[in-house]
Amino acid sequence: MKRVDVAIVGGGLVGCATAWRLSTAGASVELIEAADINAGASGQNAGSLHFQIERRFLENGDALAEQASSIVALSRIAVEDWRGLETALNADLHVSMAGGLMVAETADHVALLERKATREQREGLKVRTIDGDAARAIAPYLSASVLAANHSADEGHADPRTVTPALAAAARAAGATIRTHSAVHAIGRRAGGGFTIAGNGFSLHADQVLIAAGAWTAALCTLANLHMPLYPVALLMNATERTAPMVPHLVQHVGRRLSLKQTHAGNLLIGGGWPSRLAQLPGGGFDLSRRATMIPDSLSGNLRAAIDVVPAISRLNLIRSWTGVTAISADQLPIVGQVPRMPGLWIAAGGSAFTLGPTFARLVASAMAGGPSEALDIVSPARFEHLNGFMG
Amino acid sequence: MSGTRIPGETRGAAITVIVDGAPVPAFAGETLATAMIAADRTAFRHDTRRVARGLFCNMGSCSECLVTRVADGRRIRACLTEAADGLEVRTDG
Repeated sequence: MKRVDVAIVGGGLVGCATAWRLSTAGASVELIEAADINAGASGQNAGSLHFQIERRFLENGDALAEQASSIVALSRIAVEDWRGLETALNADLHVSMAGGLMVAETADHVALLERKATREQREGLKVRTIDGDAARAIAPYLSASVLAANHSADEGHADPRTVTPALAAAARAAGATIRTHSAVHAIGRRAGGGFTIAGNGFSLHADQVLIAAGAWTAALCTLANLHMPLYPVALLMNATERTAPMVPHLVQHVGRRLSLKQTHAGNLLIGGGWPSRLAQLPGGGFDLSRRATMIPDSLSGNLRAAIDVVPAISRLNLIRSWTGVTAISADQLPIVGQVPRMPGLWIAAGGSAFTLGPTFARLVASAMAGGPSEALDIVSPARFEHLNGFMG
Repeated sequence: MSGTRIPGETRGAAITVIVDGAPVPAFAGETLATAMIAADRTAFRHDTRRVARGLFCNMGSCSECLVTRVADGRRIRACLTEAADGLEVRTDG
């Protein structure tokens, strides 16, 4: 039977980047993907490089906001990973890091921005709160309704359609085997260590396994007899027609669901966490094999928020809207690292993984080879070990 | 792709739209896209490499038929826009 150092389940950004890092370091790697490379959230998301604390972490009270602010430590590392990625891959990923603005339109939201900036500065992130006029001096396209903004000079965006394919190509060039259209049906532990991974027409032995399969990660973990508290969520993204350059920044809103940016080609991508509806299975549960359906109120609400903040968008045609599926964890933070009760089994999933994905991959690859993993402690699956007291 | 009007149909009044500065005959009730294709004007817009693109779905979904309305600079879908006498558009976008 074929034997590899590491089997990676999932051909998204994190899986491909980890395959690249491991192969480059000399490990034998087989990546197994049920569909196509970049077919899930890695290719469906809107490509934000957001280093400020996300709005979703702020809307459930100070306690959760405080806990989530620890993610900033990883965001700081991610800034450097993104700055070096195009050079390291020798590929044009349309990485733009011209800065980001998270805006507020009410006094309450301005106060939220200020509290957020305090947290971020405490964690060493370069963020400052500026008033509406100062924001419009940087970003003349912003509406008069913007009262203040948190500015991060490092934020920006990259092209989700090119990043993961470039990582997969680099992984192949470094010697990794990438198997697509191959669903994994079994993940078994071997006596004496290591794992057997099997699916239709293949099986292999791997010393270590990384499951980085987005919304499918929880189901794959059941193959290893593990609970992983990851829940699928369906979101909405929109694109306008191309227009002349007008928004060089990443724009987000602290009190409304909004992220927007202008692509290299000139389209404005508009998202920000508006829900779509997951398909359901007849007996209960969600059917991830079928596309989520759009919720009309999400579409109108998202576009309203975009036009309120950047009025010039009202002159543009919407040319595409699409739904995508990602996963959130029980405490909102991603789950990345080795499962303590199953040495050799690693997880990387749970959202924020476009921005943080290259960092997760580099740190996981290094830790798999015995390197330090302290930077991943805040996202380690160890915090959910209590769920697996009867599993494993 | 080019288009030919089916002979013998009852049509609205003869009108003229202007495409890239040139008069294009149309009949009231037709879409702008119909008039353009009937006149063999099948390049509606351009991609980022300046390659011509043309009408694909003819039902408002694909956005391949976006043209620029000269009066206000707005981009409009030719397949959803009714031809109006004197309506002026450009296809250089």
